[in-house]
Amino acid sequence: MSYEIPMGPYHPALEEPYKLDMVCVGETVQDAKLHIGFNFRGIEHLAETRNYIQVIALMERVCGICSFIHTLTLCQAMEELTGVTPPPRAQYIRVVMGELERLHSHVLWAGIAAKLMGFKTMFMTCFALREKVMDVLQAISGNRVNYSMNCIGGVNRDVENPLALVEMVNELEREMVRTIIPIFTTSSTARSRCAGIGVLTHEKAIACGVVGPVARSSGIAQDLRRDAPYAAYGEMEFDVPVEQGGDVRARLLVRALEIMESCRILRQALSGMPHGEINIGDTKLNFRTGTATSRVEAPRGEVMYSVSWKEGSRNPSRVHVRTPTFVNMPSVRWMVQGARLADTPLIQASVDPCYSCTDR
Amino acid sequence: MTVLENVTKNGTAREPLNLDQWSLEGGVWWMKRSDDNESVSVREVATAMSAIGARFITITAYQLPGAEGFRLEYHWDVEGRLLGFSFNIAGAANDGANIESIVDICEAADWIEREVHEGFGINFTGREYEPLLLREGDTPGMNLRDEVKK
Repeated sequence: MSYEIPMGPYHPALEEPYKLDMVCVGETVQDAKLHIGFNFRGIEHLAETRNYIQVIALMERVCGICSFIHTLTLCQAMEELTGVTPPPRAQYIRVVMGELERLHSHVLWAGIAAKLMGFKTMFMTCFALREKVMDVLQAISGNRVNYSMNCIGGVNRDVENPLALVEMVNELEREMVRTIIPIFTTSSTARSRCAGIGVLTHEKAIACGVVGPVARSSGIAQDLRRDAPYAAYGEMEFDVPVEQGGDVRARLLVRALEIMESCRILRQALSGMPHGEINIGDTKLNFRTGTATSRVEAPRGEVMYSVSWKEGSRNPSRVHVRTPTFVNMPSVRWMVQGARLADTPLIQASVDPCYSCTDR
Repeated sequence: MTVLENVTKNGTAREPLNLDQWSLEGGVWWMKRSDDNESVSVREVATAMSAIGARFITITAYQLPGAEGFRLEYHWDVEGRLLGFSFNIAGAANDGANIESIVDICEAADWIEREVHEGFGINFTGREYEPLLLREGDTPGMNLRDEVKK
């Protein structure tokens, strides 16, 4: 006999509002239906009421983790509409901020995953490590969450001494190699909770159009930093980690390896940062009539903005945001089918969902 | 279908697209409308995109001025190249605006079709809806459709 178990909308796995209605037979999940929209904010409509400066501050609030990425994507679209190009140093700073954000997002996720596994010591280790990344973000921008770094035509703040940050990157990498990666890959606790759990097959991942680490852990080698480079990514050398397993362990491994690649990119960007201006200064901005689209590889996957403008207007006529969780989360239905009920919080968390983005 | 055949032939490689059939504007490769593809439907595009393994990204809806209706822009990714297909549909104030659903061809379009339906009141025919972002008593179109949100 089957029965329904509602999970949520209050903090079903993470401290975010969504609901999973599961149909179970015994302890086994047969099917699931996901409900979102509990904290819908109508940001796309609000964006139409903000001018070209205010809209940057507004879209920074779409996500609390990837706030830099959202303004970067928006500013790239607005730069296309105004025909301005950020100076080379600004493009490097954008890479540095983007990778620091990826580091703190992935390490935060690793900590939460450890907590859901019942591995509290690892949670503490990950969060201590994340704190070091947050310190650097604060040192560069003055803020810990919404960095206010991007503007149309560059960035608002310089990285005063890029080479001084390289040691932090090296220390972070050492800690990953010394502690976090070995424990996640060899500990019996991590293995028993993650291996073979919440599988998203390669075929289903393609059908669902998933992005980011969720796609790469199901054997899909896609990454906009390599496939459609933006900012200064075209000048960076890095690999795109791909795993074939499609389970929670594969998603964990992909993120761990991406941390290493982020360290590699950061070292290149910090040591090769060109001198010069960080933005276009007081250049007058003239928006053309039309639509511009920009895509960026956020920690959770592809973010896409379509921005529409009418010449002479101070406000955008339309801003459409497609966030990675919006496409990744429907795949949870397929991940939990056949899983044990007790594993479903970890499976949901393995997507690294962001409902701030989804209920934008 | 000439334009879609062009994608099929060239889309999986990093070769340039035929500029007679595609134009790069605003960061997107747009399919040009011509006699060959004037009547191409959204389902034909979705079928062709699925056949070459393109990844569906999203649908962006725009309300056109006055009673001109709506423009829906469908985006697909082919190995990092962003392709766009634009469809105009009629639908004046308080009238229904309809376009065929592609969910049966492209599963990834499910949530975004539901979001566009709720945001603009556009009907995607041939599918059933469940609420996504709206709650009981909310009117489709209340977020982004001019005559409803005012």
